[in-house]
Amino acid sequence: MSDQHLLEVRDLVVRFRTHDGAVHAVNGVSFDLAAGETLGVAGESGCGKSVTNLAIVGLLPKPAGRVEGGSVKLEGRELTTLKEEELRQVRGSEIAMIFQDPMTSLNPVLRIEEQLIETIQAHREVTKEAARTRAIELLTAVGVANPESRLRSYPHEFSGGMRQRVMIAMALALEPRVLIADEPTTALDVTIQAQVLDLLRRLTEERGTATILVTHDLGVLAGMADRVNVMYAGAVIESGTTDDLFANPRHPYTVGLLRSIPRLDGETGGKLVPIEGRPPDLIDAPVGCSFYARCAWRTDRCATETPALLPIDGGKGPIVTSGPAATHVAACFNPVAPEEVAEGRPLRRSGGATR
Amino acid sequence: MGRYIVRRLLAAIPVLIGLSILLFAYIRILPGDPCVAILGQHRTPEACAALRENLGLDLPLWQQYISYLLKTISGDLGASVVNSQPFVAEFLTRFPGTIELTIGALIFSIGVGIPLGRLAARKVGGWLDGLITGVSLFGVSIPVFVLGLALVVIFGVILGWLPTQGRIDARARFDATSGILLVDTLFAGRLDLFVDVVRHLILPSIALGSIPLAIITRITRASVIEVANEDYVRTARSKGLKEKTVDNRHVMRNAWLPVTTVVGLQVGGLLGGAVLTETVFVWNGVGRWVVDAIENHDYPIVQSTILVFAVIFLIVNLIVDVGYALLNPKIRYQ
Amino acid sequence: MFRAALVDPQIARASRGLWGDAARRLRRNRPALVGLFCIVLFALAAILAPVISPFDPYAMNGSSLDAPSLTHLFGTDLLGRDIFSRVLYGAQISLFVGVGAVVLALVIGGVLGAIAGGFGGRIDGVIMRATDVFLSIPSILLAIGIVTALGRGMVQLMFAIAVSYAPTFARLLRGSLLALREADYVVAARTIGASRMRILVRHMLPNALTPLIVQATLVLATAIIDIAGLGFLGLGPADPRTPEWGTMLVDARRFMQTAPHIVVFIGGAIVISAIGFNLLGDGLRESLDPKLKR
Repeated sequence: MSDQHLLEVRDLVVRFRTHDGAVHAVNGVSFDLAAGETLGVAGESGCGKSVTNLAIVGLLPKPAGRVEGGSVKLEGRELTTLKEEELRQVRGSEIAMIFQDPMTSLNPVLRIEEQLIETIQAHREVTKEAARTRAIELLTAVGVANPESRLRSYPHEFSGGMRQRVMIAMALALEPRVLIADEPTTALDVTIQAQVLDLLRRLTEERGTATILVTHDLGVLAGMADRVNVMYAGAVIESGTTDDLFANPRHPYTVGLLRSIPRLDGETGGKLVPIEGRPPDLIDAPVGCSFYARCAWRTDRCATETPALLPIDGGKGPIVTSGPAATHVAACFNPVAPEEVAEGRPLRRSGGATR
Repeated sequence: MGRYIVRRLLAAIPVLIGLSILLFAYIRILPGDPCVAILGQHRTPEACAALRENLGLDLPLWQQYISYLLKTISGDLGASVVNSQPFVAEFLTRFPGTIELTIGALIFSIGVGIPLGRLAARKVGGWLDGLITGVSLFGVSIPVFVLGLALVVIFGVILGWLPTQGRIDARARFDATSGILLVDTLFAGRLDLFVDVVRHLILPSIALGSIPLAIITRITRASVIEVANEDYVRTARSKGLKEKTVDNRHVMRNAWLPVTTVVGLQVGGLLGGAVLTETVFVWNGVGRWVVDAIENHDYPIVQSTILVFAVIFLIVNLIVDVGYALLNPKIRYQ
Repeated sequence: MFRAALVDPQIARASRGLWGDAARRLRRNRPALVGLFCIVLFALAAILAPVISPFDPYAMNGSSLDAPSLTHLFGTDLLGRDIFSRVLYGAQISLFVGVGAVVLALVIGGVLGAIAGGFGGRIDGVIMRATDVFLSIPSILLAIGIVTALGRGMVQLMFAIAVSYAPTFARLLRGSLLALREADYVVAARTIGASRMRILVRHMLPNALTPLIVQATLVLATAIIDIAGLGFLGLGPADPRTPEWGTMLVDARRFMQTAPHIVVFIGGAIVISAIGFNLLGDGLRESLDPKLKR
């Protein structure tokens, strides 16, 4: 833990104030990101994945959303207390973002050229010509044919996949240290998804860009991420290297997620198992484990006490929070046993509720 | 683009034909004998005969319409029954006053409405937003002539700050070639008179501009709020653009679009409102002329003014739509 | 729409839900309640004018141009008539002509819009071009044209205002109907072989009425202003002694320098009633459109 991480998020708390009360969107999220690493974040929609990312760069919708606790450090520099102008200089140049829907994420009335050049000029004192040359390089790098003439196009003249390539070019324009890709391929056709993901992996590897890849599609993470955080109801409930997590999921929710995706190797006999129920309403502050209501492994303790993220092997030695040797942690009082994973239900009597 | 304009022009033809039928019918449904209805107390046997001849009242209806249509297209818009002055000649001397007033009102409503709308949008839900919404509510709820009278009383009678009648000091002597006094006084090199014209223009412009001001404020507010929530605005911020750039380039470039359309639609209301405003401020324009024409039962003047105002409205909105297409690349290429 | 609701339990439930919901949201909307208060004030003044008016609005009851006093709350006009009583009776005229005009406009516009939006095709094209013609004429000029053509009078006034608003209603209804044509439940009704008329009347119209109701409320404000505008131009009721607000303002204007309070009282009456309908209309729009809920 002595060496500094590129990005350190500690106990991040985000609240949204609405007419119906405060929404507890993020409830104490902590994670680290090492240089060059790809961290996958998985979870259902509304679990706080996107909000966490927006909070990191200070883009929570104002005035409803607010960071109410915790810290975000980029190379040791605290971001949550930065002035707007200092934060602006971080955005785009040190931490860049790609969003879900390339149809709506590019400004429809501005040419691609303007949108690329303004990004570069927002952070570098360069002439328009130099920025333009750079823009052409970038478009070439993301595989846009005829970049010179395509610069003059408007977003609606591109296909969805091409638009997302432009978004990637824009995000990488200033060689950021961290790239946050929020569901970058969800809105694309399946065939295009693979191409865009390939491109993203190649470019971030070449540049050594650390990436946070948010998706609800665990299949995407399997091929892309070094480590995975599983989020539920505004908290990380399980974390580990991708291999550990997929091979040996311990949190009932992770097990449920894994079992609800189709697998080509047919291990679950091609049968999809949905997770019953819905995520909790985040208006009320969670008491106990937030997954309690939907959990087949729940115990009485889960109703009143909130489980902490602890090493699954009982916690000998220091917890490693990044890199290939990261400790596998889960927040669960009654973790799923290996033999129960395939069954998708508790086999021991000690488990709580049956449904 | 060219094809778009041609298509819009072609679409206006049925409307123009409908308009001509309506206005043709107008003169003919006036109650009673057309001679009595149109000429009223100005009728003499000779005038009646001339009118019947002029309108072709003894011909079959469709022939009358064709002849009205041909005359109108050739630019003959009839004449006053009071003094036999041709419509077009008199209209041209009156119209500059109405243009000046309309432009004054447009400048006021756009110049104040858009900043107010942006301000309200930036402070959604705050007291300033509430105040601006309240002011715009008042703007659409107060009749032009009531506001006009109130302005006359407050700024003219009580405070005495601004003139409340006419377009320029009645004693002013200079060469008014275009009839648009703002331009003429400048060309005549009379800065003092220019200032005088501006002072005369202020109160009528505010009165006439109040409704468009309210509408433009509302639509700007709504549009800015909507655009500010778009994904591409979040993208712009995530790129680290300055807030001013985000606002001016990413928000406003899109928020303009609905605003331009609404501004175009206000022109009809402004021309109509000019009738009332010119009456309140004794303003020498087409509006007051129409009111006089109503009093004198000079219906051909009313008829042709309606025609010309409707055509102006159609032309302005054609221009606005073309401007909209220029601002919005998506339409341009469709 | 309520007949349709009775016939079809599905719609009945949806519709009660929608209206119940809207009523609840409306009660929480303070500006709308203020608007409702203004309207009640306006309507009470109009309906109770014969009861609460202290004087006959046509009769001389004081000396000319009396200042406001306890006897004459708003003072008297040139002919010594009580302005307070005249303002109350003026509300009656504005309410009667205004509501009449908007109802008439709703009927004309509603029928045209339903035909255009429900059947489409050539008839739609013809109706839409016709509304284009009327919409190209500034509404006050259109009303001027109609009143001059038909002669002065309350019914003519009502008709003139109705004709200038009907095209807006027609377009609005047509627009919602066109959007609804693609709605899933309409497509579903079509696939089970429901007749065109039945789909239009039972499935589409009830759902297309809400924007029309909102617009009608807002237009009432404009109608009151336009009636006064025509009166101000001398195109109001045939009898110039009638206590119509716009007509009264013509006289008031002549004494603006010496008795500005007359303009203030009459103008205030117009503004308050217009604000009422504008506030209520905005409130209705917000509470009837669940999408706007923030």
